Amino acid sequence: MMEEILVTIPFGDMVHYLSEYTIVLFAFAAIFVILAVISLPEKPVDIAFGTDGYTLKETPANLMKFQRFMAIACGIATMGAVMTGDIFNFTLFAAFIGVLNIGIVAAVKNKHVLSAAFSYGLVVMMGTVPLFSGAAIIVATTGTLSIWELAVSGGVPVIAKLLLLIGVLGEGMAPFYIGKAEITRASGAPYILMIHVSSLLLFLRLVEILLTV
Amino acid sequence: MKDPETKASQTKKSNGGKSLFQKLSGFLSSTDDLPKLYAIGVCLVVIIGLCCVPFLIYEDEQLYPKTLNPASSLDPYDRGGVPLTEPAEIVAQYPENSKSIGYVTAYLTPASQFLADVTEHLGTTIVSHPGGILDEILYYTRGFDTIVETSILFAAFAIASFLYRRSKE
Amino acid sequence: MMEFIAEMDLVYKIGISVAFIAILISFAAMIREKDDIHKLIIVDLIELTGLVVVALIATDLAEALILPGLVVGIAEMMAVSELWLAKEGLQRLPTPQRADIEVLHTAPKIIGALLIAYGIFLTGFTGGLIAGLGLALFFLGKNTNEQFLASETASGYAWALWVMGFLIFFLFPSQWFFALMLAAVGIMIKVMAKIALVGTMRGDES
Repeated sequence: MMEEILVTIPFGDMVHYLSEYTIVLFAFAAIFVILAVISLPEKPVDIAFGTDGYTLKETPANLMKFQRFMAIACGIATMGAVMTGDIFNFTLFAAFIGVLNIGIVAAVKNKHVLSAAFSYGLVVMMGTVPLFSGAAIIVATTGTLSIWELAVSGGVPVIAKLLLLIGVLGEGMAPFYIGKAEITRASGAPYILMIHVSSLLLFLRLVEILLTV
Repeated sequence: MKDPETKASQTKKSNGGKSLFQKLSGFLSSTDDLPKLYAIGVCLVVIIGLCCVPFLIYEDEQLYPKTLNPASSLDPYDRGGVPLTEPAEIVAQYPENSKSIGYVTAYLTPASQFLADVTEHLGTTIVSHPGGILDEILYYTRGFDTIVETSILFAAFAIASFLYRRSKE
Repeated sequence: MMEFIAEMDLVYKIGISVAFIAILISFAAMIREKDDIHKLIIVDLIELTGLVVVALIATDLAEALILPGLVVGIAEMMAVSELWLAKEGLQRLPTPQRADIEVLHTAPKIIGALLIAYGIFLTGFTGGLIAGLGLALFFLGKNTNEQFLASETASGYAWALWVMGFLIFFLFPSQWFFALMLAAVGIMIKVMAKIALVGTMRGDES
């Protein structure tokens, strides 16, 4: 059904790239989007020492809504990144995932988390340079951006592949930051999961692209 | 750096006299240093790139090639075609996916048609009227790029306004 | 024209070397910099070097790829700089006194209206930018702050308009003219609203 729609309405030069591999990645991303839609934020428990008293930290409604929106958008961007058949479109989706990850991290009101999010934002902004440069070198040296065409003709320079790799490394660095910022202990936990999913799938898709072209 | 309470700066302070590995892991553990680390990585890749420059051969068969025709009043963007009747010739990746390719390139609004007839230099402003080669690429053949791009703008704006509003509460 | 193509390979090699050196210099600046706000400014410069590599493709495609690259850079800059303000706790600083210049009470209305009219005439990204500047100038003179929600809503509807135009291009290729107009007007309104908001968001008690 989905395939039929995509095949009958190709978006001009933006063709999809359907293979068993990308379909599995797509389905994985779709499952996590659904999880983000239906799940509620968990409530971290603070236990008072020496007594049996405890308090539940409530997540503010506006923070919850914002993080959920960012997580769902991030899932959809991940779905786009694993399905696209165009190098430049892939780099744009990677940049999109980077921006949305900044959003998920930055929503937490904690100085330590915010300062980690700022560093991550700098890395995301720097990451767009090697990403776009890699795509531009590919189109200048081979004359095409379509992964289908590149798979047939080959001839992508090693430096373009390296630039794409380091670019995606920058965009998908978020899980590293979360571990450092201990954001997983902050409220709004289920949506943080999307950062890991998007970064993992982005890398898996990049490996596939680099092996194909 | 400005907040002495953060773990990062504490790690830094206690680093004196440690082994190289301890210093390195101290550097890696501070989030403030990660942009620096990433910049070092990009610099290394670019140095490899500088060595690779002789092997980068420019491909002559490009998509959407640029042609110059100084006699035309649409100069840098004149791709032929007659507005509304005859489409321009466009070298797209998959022309069969874009049925009415070339019509957008050839189109001129009445106002820009008038300017093209009267003046010599409409080409320098043609990119900002509806119609023309850039609109063809941005809205039609590679329109999906523009959708993703405006979504990025939208997401970034949502983040900025969320942070802005929260500070006003 | 033929000569231009034959030399292109050499030109590309020289250009890409220069671009790589520029990237190297800008990232080296990033390694040396310690202050957060300066890092932010350097990153803004760094983004331009990426666009140089894109521009070296030297086709119409290059011009079409620069625009997304530029917009992505500006968008990320907007989010990260607001993040910096939140991190440093600078968002609650008292509003600086507005420049009380007499010409700002009258001129912005006329110039703003002219810019908006010209932007609507141009449409597309450029038109949106010019009209947005006009709106920002208008708000600057008028000292108003209640239009924010309205222009954000307008921006959302404009985005839908543009996506509709995009779909019409592929679902009904014969209606390309209608789709072109939808896309041009949609993008114009969207960019205009964003630019106007960015221009007026600073330091108002809205």
